[in-house]
Amino acid sequence: MTIQIVDWVQTGAMIGGGLSVGLAAIGAALGEGYTAGKASATLSYRPELAADVMKTMLIGQAVAETAGIFGLVVSLLILFSPTSGATMLTGWAYLAAGLSMGLSAIGCGVGSGFPSANACEGIGRQPAISGQLTTLMLIGSGVAQSTAIYGFLIALLLVYKSFPDTATVSAICSLLAAGIAMGLGGIGPGLGEGYAAGKAIGAAARNPETLGVMTRTMLVGQAVSESTGIYSLVVALLLVLRV
Amino acid sequence: MHDLGRIHQLIVPLFGHEMTFNIEVIVMTWIVIAGLLVFGFLASRKRRLVPGSLQVIGEFFIRQFYDLAEDALDKEMAKTYAPLICALFLFLVISNWLGIIPHLEEPTKDLNTPLSLGVMGFFIAHYAGIKAKGIKAYAKAYFEPVFFIMPLNVVGEFAKVVSISFRLFGNIMGGSIIILVVSYLVYSMVLPPLLNAFFGLFVGTIQAFVFTMLTLVYISVQVK
Repeated sequence: MTIQIVDWVQTGAMIGGGLSVGLAAIGAALGEGYTAGKASATLSYRPELAADVMKTMLIGQAVAETAGIFGLVVSLLILFSPTSGATMLTGWAYLAAGLSMGLSAIGCGVGSGFPSANACEGIGRQPAISGQLTTLMLIGSGVAQSTAIYGFLIALLLVYKSFPDTATVSAICSLLAAGIAMGLGGIGPGLGEGYAAGKAIGAAARNPETLGVMTRTMLVGQAVSESTGIYSLVVALLLVLRV
Repeated sequence: MHDLGRIHQLIVPLFGHEMTFNIEVIVMTWIVIAGLLVFGFLASRKRRLVPGSLQVIGEFFIRQFYDLAEDALDKEMAKTYAPLICALFLFLVISNWLGIIPHLEEPTKDLNTPLSLGVMGFFIAHYAGIKAKGIKAYAKAYFEPVFFIMPLNVVGEFAKVVSISFRLFGNIMGGSIIILVVSYLVYSMVLPPLLNAFFGLFVGTIQAFVFTMLTLVYISVQVK
């Protein structure tokens, strides 16, 4: 009987680890590639700005990669965590953790690529305010990653929470539902917040006097579009904590 | 590999309760604080019109962060909050860089450090909001756009603390876990120094800056 549980936990860990890093890689890679493409397009007509644009591109890509790094970390934590003392539910929890982290990172990876790409484009338009644009980009793509961070939080909870020995169907379903709720709920807000940040940076680059107004509008808009992600976080927390 | 994510703790029984100290984190935080105090002392010891090299670095930091604070807040309020912002950034950036020295670890790798700084930022932002707008206008902001949305606005405020502190924690802890696993896989050859440079210096600086700027922005959202 013990061997069966270990097998079960390892199966859950492998599938969960694969889902976490595999799905998270989709978003982060797309966002980074989009940034690099826009940077190349900018340099084609402003080659003398190569240093500034390259610097902003690399910083933006490093921020966009955060979601991918979270996916990798959750997958490593799942794969290397000890199987001794694990119960039947642990395997399902690992699977749910992979779903939560992987799915929520898709939107955030792509989303945090938008501000970086628009900052590269904006520097080509207004080289004089490249510092302010980079700062606005960091704030915008940082906030756009909130839902991936909530997914990371739920995944950590699922990995480190101790579960009862007996596995009921409702407990298994709660864990999986928490992963799905946070994962799917994280996609949209990541994309939406990234879009808001990207457009705000583009607008600030067109008209530098509006930088302050744009920062505030961007933050308010992002806060509102994040609310659906927060609904998911609340539901996922309720589902995990009731097991 | 089995000590992944484990920490050393000192548990002190006190009047029937248990007090837990994460010793490594506390010692590393003291190292950072001591380093910053020494830097501050040396940089401001011989202040001259023609500055020495340490004074240049110090003035550069101060000027940059006062400018950022003046952009986000107005000139009067920047005087109140810029020292906080400057200190926060210096503490975080030195903390994140500490891991590249062998046998030392980043204090930010433990969730307690980013979470306490995030909670501090939360209280400062709300205090600033109440002070600038008055309690009535401050409370009214929670009932917009419609009154029944109030609980979600409150949850949203707490979610800000979660997202700001887990962003820093996840990046730094993630970096150290990736370095640990890769070092184990390649027998600590060739790759670990490059990874240390990427995660410690590059990502560490960016995340320290993002944390600082978000704290500043949360203050500026509250006061306007």
